[in-house]
Amino acid sequence: MQKKLYGLMAEFDTATDLVDAANRVREAGYTKTDAFSPFPLHEIDEALGIKRSILPLLVFFGGLGGLLLGIGMQVFVHYIDYPLNVGGRPFLSWPAFVPASYELTILLAGFTAVFGMLFLNGLPRPYHPVFNVPRFALASREKFFLLVEAADAKYDYEETKAFLGELKPQEVFDVEE
Amino acid sequence: MNGHGDYQAPAEIKKYQSIALGAGGIAFIAWAIGTYFNVEQGLRSWLLGFIFWSGLGLGSIGVLMLQYLTGGAWGVVIRRIVEAASRTLPLIFVVFLPILFGLTYLYEWTHLPADDYAMVHRGWFMTTESWILRSVVYFIFFAAMVYPLNKWSAAQDASKDHEEAARWLGRATAFSGPTMVIYVLVVTFATVDWVMMLEPHWFSTIWGFLFVAGWALAIFSFSVALLALLSDKAPMNRVLDKRHFHDLGKLMLAFTMVWTYFNFSQFLIIWSGNIPEETGYYIFRFDGGWQWIAGGLLLFHFAFPFLILLQQDFKRKAKLLASMAGFILVMRLVDMYFLIGPTPRIETHGKGLPLLESFSWMDIVAPIAVGGFWMAFFFYQYAKRPIMPIMDPFLQRAIDHGKGH
Repeated sequence: MQKKLYGLMAEFDTATDLVDAANRVREAGYTKTDAFSPFPLHEIDEALGIKRSILPLLVFFGGLGGLLLGIGMQVFVHYIDYPLNVGGRPFLSWPAFVPASYELTILLAGFTAVFGMLFLNGLPRPYHPVFNVPRFALASREKFFLLVEAADAKYDYEETKAFLGELKPQEVFDVEE
Repeated sequence: MNGHGDYQAPAEIKKYQSIALGAGGIAFIAWAIGTYFNVEQGLRSWLLGFIFWSGLGLGSIGVLMLQYLTGGAWGVVIRRIVEAASRTLPLIFVVFLPILFGLTYLYEWTHLPADDYAMVHRGWFMTTESWILRSVVYFIFFAAMVYPLNKWSAAQDASKDHEEAARWLGRATAFSGPTMVIYVLVVTFATVDWVMMLEPHWFSTIWGFLFVAGWALAIFSFSVALLALLSDKAPMNRVLDKRHFHDLGKLMLAFTMVWTYFNFSQFLIIWSGNIPEETGYYIFRFDGGWQWIAGGLLLFHFAFPFLILLQQDFKRKAKLLASMAGFILVMRLVDMYFLIGPTPRIETHGKGLPLLESFSWMDIVAPIAVGGFWMAFFFYQYAKRPIMPIMDPFLQRAIDHGKGH
């Protein structure tokens, strides 16, 4: 073991094999894992024990922030800083504040959704060690891959490699850092 | 391939039908006695029941065409519900008859003096003859939508193979496109005649859309409630899954927002314009107890359902979503009462009444009477056909859709 390893990766022929293997890996207690497939696999989230994203909650508070910003801005301008008589209406004309506040709610919720998503999934990411395995290019065509990171608490090179070998993979690769 | 027998309505439908008919009959007797002593109040309450329940029947025509146009699993799942609801049209017409014959006891404009500016400028439009003629024409339009859509759907069930079934689906889809436009126009005219004319000196150009959006919301809520009731019985337990409810919940959320959007648009424009002939509508409704209904609608027809329906987990649980659907249906009735209750009365010579004086026990009894009859007729229509479109080319895909994430 001369080079530092990022982890171990097993290649599978079918989606079913991948999901079965992912279940076994989770049951064995590995947590820092990932799966790669040419198309979305709905079962894989459960199989790997991936938790629900907190993004919806962030979007909600982003929207709420936009709403408060919109109301606050208009109350400050029209009521506190520069009260202006518009057609005899009260300075605190809440119906007129609704459209702009609504738009700011949508805007900040949208921004939170996009930038929160990028922040949480770490994109854009120009370099990732998994691409050091030449056959990994097939993950976007016809093969399925399961990765166990070296950073996992349960990781041990020999033991993990033997364990992945039991899951009937096509091959197990060392992923170089 | 599935046979007809696989998708027959469960036997419980008969039980629901008798319960509905019984409740409707008792309430109807109470309403009839009350109306004998106070014709105007009786008819106003009847109109409330009519406009709420006909909303489910007439609104389902729009949703039926909408699901043909958009496609999607939710449409396949609720198609037989909205079809059955659209076939209640004959009953809706019968329920309309008291209003048609009691026209001059219900609408204050029939007692306006001939030199009133609304009567002068609207001319022939404001005569009882033209009002009756128009109402009959609306029903002919609705019938011309209900009849072919239901006929083609039955023909699809009887198709020999999926190619023939796909042709019937294509025909219904092609029909729905242009007819959708006509439908919204007819609903606009009909609701202006039936509800907005209660307030003859006031007008709103978004009026029809308030009903189109509100009726769609009511139909989605009604479908969710019925599907949740059937979801643990055969045959629907083989069909429905959490993702179907998730999709219908999203539609409930969307139409809750559309309803709010249209209502607020109307309010904001009238508030900004500040013209006396428009503002009277809201000035009266922000006083005399009606302001509590207005605030209640904002909180419980919008804010509360909106915040609850935002949550993904809530929409995936059939029973929880169904309880919200029931709540929204009650708020739909309150919304209709907010439109009808404060309007001018004949007995007070064109003045509206405060909430507590306006509210009558018949406002509760009449919607139950109409609702009981409507539900009984709906269940009768619903049980007549398989409760899923058995030959639809997208049936299997729609069923599989429910099990996904």
